[in-house]
Amino acid sequence: MDQVITAVVAVIGVPLVLLGYIVLGERVIERLPDTIQTWIRPYFWALPAIGFATIFMVYPLLRTVFLSFRNNADTDWVGFNNYVYFFTFPDTLTSLRNSLLWLIFYTFFAVGLGLIIAILLDRVRYEQVAKIAIFLPVPISAVAASIIWKFMFDYQPPGSVQTGTLNAAIGAFGGQPVAWLVNSTTNNPALIFVGIWSITGFCMVIISASLKSISTEVLEAARIDGANEFRIVQLIVTPLLWPTITVVGTTMIINALKTFDIVYVLTSGAYDTDVIATNMFRQLATSHYARAAAVGVVLFLAIVPLLVVNIRRFQQQEETR
Amino acid sequence: MTDVLAKLSSRAIAGGLGVLLLIACSSGGGTNNQTASSTDVTVWTAWGGNELAAFQKVLKPFHDQTGITVHLTTVRDANQLSINVDAGTSLPDIAPGPTVDKVKDWATKGTMKPVETALGSSFNDYITNTYPALTTVPSGGGDNLYIGIVGGKHYELMVKTQVKGLFWYNKKVFTGTAPKTFDELLAINPSQYGADKLFCVGLESGGASGWPASDQIDNIIMRQSGDKVYTDWIQGKVKFSSPQIKLGYQTYLKEVSAQNVYGGPNTVLSTAFQRAGKPLFAAKPGCLFLEQATFIPSFFLEDYPNLKAGVDFDFFGHPSVASQYDGNVNGFYDQFAMYNDTPAARKLMQYMATSPAQQIWADAGGTLTAIKTIKYNDPVFNRAAEVANSAKNLLVTAGDFMPSDMQAAFWKSLLNVTKNPSSLDSELAKLDQVQAAAYKTS
Repeated sequence: MDQVITAVVAVIGVPLVLLGYIVLGERVIERLPDTIQTWIRPYFWALPAIGFATIFMVYPLLRTVFLSFRNNADTDWVGFNNYVYFFTFPDTLTSLRNSLLWLIFYTFFAVGLGLIIAILLDRVRYEQVAKIAIFLPVPISAVAASIIWKFMFDYQPPGSVQTGTLNAAIGAFGGQPVAWLVNSTTNNPALIFVGIWSITGFCMVIISASLKSISTEVLEAARIDGANEFRIVQLIVTPLLWPTITVVGTTMIINALKTFDIVYVLTSGAYDTDVIATNMFRQLATSHYARAAAVGVVLFLAIVPLLVVNIRRFQQQEETR
Repeated sequence: MTDVLAKLSSRAIAGGLGVLLLIACSSGGGTNNQTASSTDVTVWTAWGGNELAAFQKVLKPFHDQTGITVHLTTVRDANQLSINVDAGTSLPDIAPGPTVDKVKDWATKGTMKPVETALGSSFNDYITNTYPALTTVPSGGGDNLYIGIVGGKHYELMVKTQVKGLFWYNKKVFTGTAPKTFDELLAINPSQYGADKLFCVGLESGGASGWPASDQIDNIIMRQSGDKVYTDWIQGKVKFSSPQIKLGYQTYLKEVSAQNVYGGPNTVLSTAFQRAGKPLFAAKPGCLFLEQATFIPSFFLEDYPNLKAGVDFDFFGHPSVASQYDGNVNGFYDQFAMYNDTPAARKLMQYMATSPAQQIWADAGGTLTAIKTIKYNDPVFNRAAEVANSAKNLLVTAGDFMPSDMQAAFWKSLLNVTKNPSSLDSELAKLDQVQAAAYKTS
């Protein structure tokens, strides 16, 4: 019963309180002099949103930074101990290395393939069908996609029936099955591949939309001037797409740094496949809140510059419109 | 929109807000009455699903016979009780005992009341009926915090138990006699019985991958180096690189060597523990034995629905490793402690210790009870009861009683050495490093 009342209060009460705030506040503002009214009204309307953002985003952020310098019970300052732990422990160093691998290969292939596919499909008649096929993995939840690939990567002992699609294919050509997710030369590439598979469609769609906005006259002119298609892509299309590519690229870098679900479902970080986010989760799951906070701060600091670049790009695009 | 807003009277809105605030405040605090009740008893459990349903079945006749109402709450957070104890707020009358580190403190402070007090005249029956390993310190004296014995008094009433480290086999394939010692086990030639390898092992279990290997190595260490080394190791007083623990790892590696295990290490690491037993029953058996606890037959039946326990498959207990440590058995148990000494709480404790109550648990299936003489519908549990009865010392699963990051590192190390046995020394060194940090309380 208590839960029901709490739920009702939350679902009906909170919007009602906001409504009350606006109605009662407007009553007050209406009675103020006109000059003050125009000055105060935007702040008054924005205040709830700013309040919520502060409570749910800014406060937790500051609290995380605070906790990362505290001991686990939050009773004493420990200086940089949690950060020292993060940068010296063998397992966390592996997770840093792997996040770097993700950042490089995931971003490069997702954006690169997205660009190439967008350009190639722009020139064929079955563009829509091909685009749908490549976009299909995007809406699949990462957990479901990982489970699909778990079956694809499945391993059975040599000599028995291979239930994993990849190993069945290898077996059909007479090869020995590969323990994709256990073998440390194949497991990180396999995980990154799943990531690329599930996001390339997204990159392609964004780049393709930008590609459509390039004026055909420019391309026609280049062709008349005798440029071949490779030169056109190299000297005209790519530079014109560059702002889009940076936005998609930085988004992919952020994605790569945040990678969690694919690794968690497929290997749980075993056999040296841990990334920063799975490491942070493990610290939380083992009640090392202060260490988890430190990992979170490191991750946040790594992402901030990219966010700044991204927001600048957006602003530039807004201005050019 | 502003018109609509303007029409709402500000007084009505203010009134509405006030009412909501009142409701919000009143729904916040719960009410708890603390009287020595003879009609009501509050019980906390961490059980859910089938285990909770079985417990409710156990409690029904109690209510019917005594008229006492049991207020049962499932509390999943194991820390909640200790939070209440520290805060001095109300405690349930009956709930499971705390984690091992708090047992002594809670017993001496009187937070938990002795089972002797709760059971009164029926205490001697309880000691006679219950598996000795659950109620007696093997050395004959001193405390055993794992089973809630402090200063000669019992603080945890045992109701259910399980045994682990059982070697399961296909009765149609392995027709020999159960090996007495671990060396005899390793000396069995699987091809003599038409099987490919000696053991099947599957360590894959999502985020908990490696735990089946930890059961295997626990069962070795407790029988190879004894319960003292074993419990000291759990408590972080014995290093992973110490000779005893290293020997345990080396012995475990014999069970998963390419020579002894079905499919080699890659198969061991890629196979889910639920599916590990499948090759036991294949037309050309992949292996002779699978080491696992009493729950595994349900997974045999998922793969081969027509199998009959006791007819098609059976098990033998873990063979002896060093004879002076025979009687050390790996298992776990469910227990209750009394936190408020009320007439109703005493009655419920007394009831749970009786055979009729525990028979209901036995009939619900999936577990051993704490009473030796209970009979089970499932032949597997009648056999498991023999193993439990042979135990002098029922030792908990090590990882479960280590700090959680120690447990995670321990499991991970078992995966790594299975994959690459030559990394043993470097893995043990890493574990020492984790151990040094994990047992500090901060």
